[in-house]
Amino acid sequence: MADFLQQLKDIVLNFDIDSAEKTAKDAIESGTDPLQAANALTEAIRDVGDRFGKGDLFLPDLVCASEVLKKAFPVINEAIEKQGGSESSVGKVVIGTVFGDIHSIGKGMVATLLYAAGFKVIDLGINVKGEDFLKAVKDENADILAMSALLTTTAMEQKKVIEGLKDAGIRDRVKVIVGGSPINQEFADSIGADGYGSTAPEGVKICRRFMGIE
Amino acid sequence: MQKGYKLNFEPVKIITDSQVEQIHSASLNVLEEVGFKYESQRALKLLEEHGCIVDYNTMTAKIPPSLVEWAISKTPSSFLLRARDPEKSIRLGGNTLYFMNSAGARHVDIDTGIVSMPTLEQNNIGVMVSDYLESVNVYPSYTPYFELEGVPPVMSCPVSCAQRHRFSTKPSRGAQPTDSFIWETKIAQAVGAQIMGCVEGAAPLSLAEDPCNAAFHYLDAGFPIYIASGSIMGGSHPITIAGASVSHNAELLAIIVLLQCIKPGCGIIANNFVSAMNMQTGDLNFGSAAIALHQMAYNQIWHYHYNIPVNNTGSAFSNAKIIDYQLGAEKLPLATASALSGANLIVLHGGVTAELAYNPVLAILDDDVAKTIGRIVEGFTVTDETIGLDVIKEVGSSGTFLNSKQTRTMWKTEDYMPKMFDKSSYQEWINTGKKTAIDKAKEKYEEIVSTYKPVPLTPQQDKEIDSILKEATEYYRKKGLI
Repeated sequence: MADFLQQLKDIVLNFDIDSAEKTAKDAIESGTDPLQAANALTEAIRDVGDRFGKGDLFLPDLVCASEVLKKAFPVINEAIEKQGGSESSVGKVVIGTVFGDIHSIGKGMVATLLYAAGFKVIDLGINVKGEDFLKAVKDENADILAMSALLTTTAMEQKKVIEGLKDAGIRDRVKVIVGGSPINQEFADSIGADGYGSTAPEGVKICRRFMGIE
Repeated sequence: MQKGYKLNFEPVKIITDSQVEQIHSASLNVLEEVGFKYESQRALKLLEEHGCIVDYNTMTAKIPPSLVEWAISKTPSSFLLRARDPEKSIRLGGNTLYFMNSAGARHVDIDTGIVSMPTLEQNNIGVMVSDYLESVNVYPSYTPYFELEGVPPVMSCPVSCAQRHRFSTKPSRGAQPTDSFIWETKIAQAVGAQIMGCVEGAAPLSLAEDPCNAAFHYLDAGFPIYIASGSIMGGSHPITIAGASVSHNAELLAIIVLLQCIKPGCGIIANNFVSAMNMQTGDLNFGSAAIALHQMAYNQIWHYHYNIPVNNTGSAFSNAKIIDYQLGAEKLPLATASALSGANLIVLHGGVTAELAYNPVLAILDDDVAKTIGRIVEGFTVTDETIGLDVIKEVGSSGTFLNSKQTRTMWKTEDYMPKMFDKSSYQEWINTGKKTAIDKAKEKYEEIVSTYKPVPLTPQQDKEIDSILKEATEYYRKKGLI
């Protein structure tokens, strides 16, 4: 089993997308404890995230490591559910780029780093309408809503979504973090967000803080 | 008409003719087999009528190579862009190089690098300064600033367009978001000018509804069109320059197909705004070698293979936050590479901080940069007169050329002497207060602001623009956008 746990770490650390699903299946079929398998993947992606934060790894490394997890985790999560367990995460985040805005890179980085930090991430993509954010927050019972806007003309969409949360009576149930080039702390405060991250790693720190993890 | 600069020597070519064909062929393959997404039923129907295989569910049209080749053949090699002052009109294409103003979201303080929301007055002054500068030939949309204090975001394009026409007689490019093209068309028509319509794709391989609508609207008004498909190598385009060239080519060709189907023979200038990605942050990495190479290959393919006018935006911005060595070092090599490879239009003046900021003092410095580049592309003539063998013989090994008629009559045309750069002797520099080029540009800025008077609109034109802006405000208010 130890060998398979190391192999699971290796596929992440070697960004081996092609072998990810097969390695996960082989590990489960050979009797590896799925919870330990999940921990191995999480440990490896944290390592990747840390090395990215230090500047030793770069964005393509981070994204490819995340792709490995996307291939391997469904297999392992299925095995966890068969055992009667459930996926563990430090919190659930709904994330997306606001309506009218098609910029995806910054949002994608935050989503990947959140994933690496142990969050369950529901990525709604780009050009996300306000009602879709609200629906996802409700349906997923999200702990955090993260919104990105790269255009000055779309930044106000973040405010509209926050107003929508209030109107729907669920503002108190979810923490809201905003980011993007035209956004700053002053703007975040003015629209009633709970946090603002100027960089992807800072965004993750704030999300961890929301969940009571320092 | 503004003259611009003529490229008087063979452009730099960085790929072989065979490689040009390979990129073109791969682009046709992408459009035929993958297709292109047009988020407009009207556009898709028109393309279907012209032989495309359309899937209305995915809004994708697969474009036959013959239609692409037809569209290329219908696009003229140059077109006239009429300004409100005919003397300021430009003919884009051929071997002429013009320069376009750059832009920024906010105003950057020259000394501190701190950005702030510009007032309408700062915007107007920015336009006025560029109207004064000889080497600014044309403006893009929302220039010089994207954002204006007290102006609702949805009104920023129409208001910016109005102020450019109020404070400058030079031609402009329009915008495409949120029906802004309706008001920009009206404003241009009110002052008897054209604007370059704007149809920008969203990489990879798609064109949103707004630019599709803008295409129909601007062409209906009889305006020429600027097209682009902004993207990032490694993000929305492949990381390789060759792969990004194919993706970018396919996108612009798909837009040209739509435009020529709407109005065969319409004038088009195709812009290259492909950026590199900073692989540590995901931000745009301006001034990179990859951008220069991409643009040079692009100019070779589009200008000299397709014979379609080309615009380069790579030198418009820098990642530098203030006017410093990095800013010059990031902007100048790209602008020079663009010019030497045959760009018809280079975006240059005034942009700082990765598209986020602008300052007219930098535009004044960029005026010298543009004129230096313009002088380089014009090359030099080799004749008996310019060689002046008799003068060389006369001076021999002991005289000077300074007192020759040749020197006196030709020095001004053989070189360009920048106005803002410090060319003083060391002692003069000490004695005159150790002024840098930035200090001199600041002084020039003050002089322009206090003395320059742009040609005003007639009271009737001014009133009509007010009325158009009121109509636009009401339109957006009804839509709940104000």
